[in-house]
Amino acid sequence: MYPGSTQQKFWTFKDENDLVQLRQEANEHFIEKHKAGMSPEQSAKFFLTPAEERLLLRQYELHLRDFCRRFHPAQPRTVYATACHYFKRFYLKCSLMDFHPKEILATCAYLACKVEEFNISISQFVANIRGDRDKASGIILANELLLMQKLNYHLTIHNPHRAVEGLLIDIKTRSQLKDPERLRPHIDEFIDRLFLTDACLLYAPSQLALAAVLHAVSKLQENLDTYVTDVLIGQSGADKLSNIIEAVRKIRTMGKSLEPLPRDTLRLLEKKLEKCRNQENNPDSAIYKQRMLEEAIDEDDEPNYPVTSESGADENLLTGIVKLRSPDT
Amino acid sequence: MDDQICPRCKTSKYRKPSMKLMVNVCGHALCEACVDLLFLKGAGSCLECNVPLRRCNFRVQLFEDPMVEKEVDIRRRVLRDFNKREEDFNTLREYNDYLEEVESIVYNLTNNIDIIATNKKIEQYKKDNRDTIMRNKSKVSRDELEIERLIEMEKAHEEIRRKECLKLEEEEKKKKIRAKEALIDELMFSSADARNILETFAQNAKEEVKAQAPVPKATQFSTGIGFGMQQQSGFLPLPKVDEGVPFIYSAMEIETDGPEPPHWHDIEKTGYVKNVRSETDQERAGGYQANIACLRALQEALLGLYHVAERTELGL
Repeated sequence: MYPGSTQQKFWTFKDENDLVQLRQEANEHFIEKHKAGMSPEQSAKFFLTPAEERLLLRQYELHLRDFCRRFHPAQPRTVYATACHYFKRFYLKCSLMDFHPKEILATCAYLACKVEEFNISISQFVANIRGDRDKASGIILANELLLMQKLNYHLTIHNPHRAVEGLLIDIKTRSQLKDPERLRPHIDEFIDRLFLTDACLLYAPSQLALAAVLHAVSKLQENLDTYVTDVLIGQSGADKLSNIIEAVRKIRTMGKSLEPLPRDTLRLLEKKLEKCRNQENNPDSAIYKQRMLEEAIDEDDEPNYPVTSESGADENLLTGIVKLRSPDT
Repeated sequence: MDDQICPRCKTSKYRKPSMKLMVNVCGHALCEACVDLLFLKGAGSCLECNVPLRRCNFRVQLFEDPMVEKEVDIRRRVLRDFNKREEDFNTLREYNDYLEEVESIVYNLTNNIDIIATNKKIEQYKKDNRDTIMRNKSKVSRDELEIERLIEMEKAHEEIRRKECLKLEEEEKKKKIRAKEALIDELMFSSADARNILETFAQNAKEEVKAQAPVPKATQFSTGIGFGMQQQSGFLPLPKVDEGVPFIYSAMEIETDGPEPPHWHDIEKTGYVKNVRSETDQERAGGYQANIACLRALQEALLGLYHVAERTELGL
């Protein structure tokens, strides 16, 4: 049930400005911590800007999609959607310079497999990753708890896929549309596109599903408007109709207006990231290895949670207390 | 009880029903035959703990757990000296402390904790309280008094009953003799039919048996002891436990935030189910119905459709 869920309460935002603001805060927070005596001009040059971070994240969201598509054994589509949610939520709270997205990406996918009941072992999972698999599984398992902590343990994700099924059943039952199964490929394609946008952080899953169905209908040059206004919403929700139409329109624009990513800039940004990323969280760095060694020694005394020095200092994150900014809650 | 086995000769109660397990002060069991064999000279040491034992101290094991036997033994020994009674204390608190102390001594001795210290304690107590111990030994305790009183009463009752019984029997005998004589007289002098006379007499005898007084309601055991102890006020009433307000079920309210989804019984009526893959027999066995999936999908499609994010809770 989406109404009353943590997804609705904590992770559905009002509009894009909220998201931009959160990302900017995360970015500033990181720079503040790591600039260490650099002049403003130097730090502006050295660190990534929020806009650059956004570009890189979009790139990695694409990687995540490809990773999930190529995954063997084939995953249910909800795994990708859930992983995508986690990925987006995680980088609302942290800067990408703090935790490298390629590590978080794999961790999100692994956690999503578990949450969506796609039962797979870590060795099966890392078989899909190129390169050093032992190292990969080490990174994933070390980051898993950190990821959950940053997500505030809000792990249940309501995805639009089942809502789409419900709408199709309803359309078959209560509308005159011929062969609604034709819509399916278009719907799936559109939903996948939506997950490359921030739509899932702004709208309810049923709204996403409705937008996808209507998009597919218009692609086939059919019309379902009377069904939506009269049958689906009906008399009882007539006053809400404008809201829904507005939401659907916005979602469809978001899905359609995906800008292509500039390849060359991205390559430069990757290089910049390698330099300015937090070395404490880089598994290849000397600092990281040193820290792991120390934790391994301390392991007898206390459990080895990958709580970073940064989050250890930030009491809010540890205790899970969320600052509320809305007037009515 | 079948798993009682003598630790020495491994005879079990099952194989030799007449076997008796014996215990001594240390609490380790032996069967009767082994006791006879090992303690031929009257004394020896325990096989398991090497405590010197005397044959005359062996008793038949009453409880299944030999440790309980041991504790009973120790308790008897300790209570011989620790025989103070409630009257000897000024307050209930002191009496309870004393009881507590006795219990801890018994426990220590039974479980071999601080044996030397505990024994010293007992010796000390004996020395300190020699007078009281002697005095109390001679005094009959209140319980014993009560029992004696009951036995006395029982004896008296018994006596009375015996006398009554004798009296009744006597009267019965006399009655029978009188009836017989009457019958003979009747037969001798009456002109009626002999058979009729016999029948009427038999009838009378039967009625007499029936007319005997009803048995009074029992207020005492057959031995004559009254139910319960008359001098005691009985048990304390059970404490009342406050259970709080009873739970009342109220149906869960679901916040829909969208068009009302169809109800369970609408699903078949409106024909939704026709558009869903129907369940296989195997799935039905597990309790699954196509309706469930259908309803869930419809709910998810409709709930939250009206959602407008007014609330934004930014957390960092």
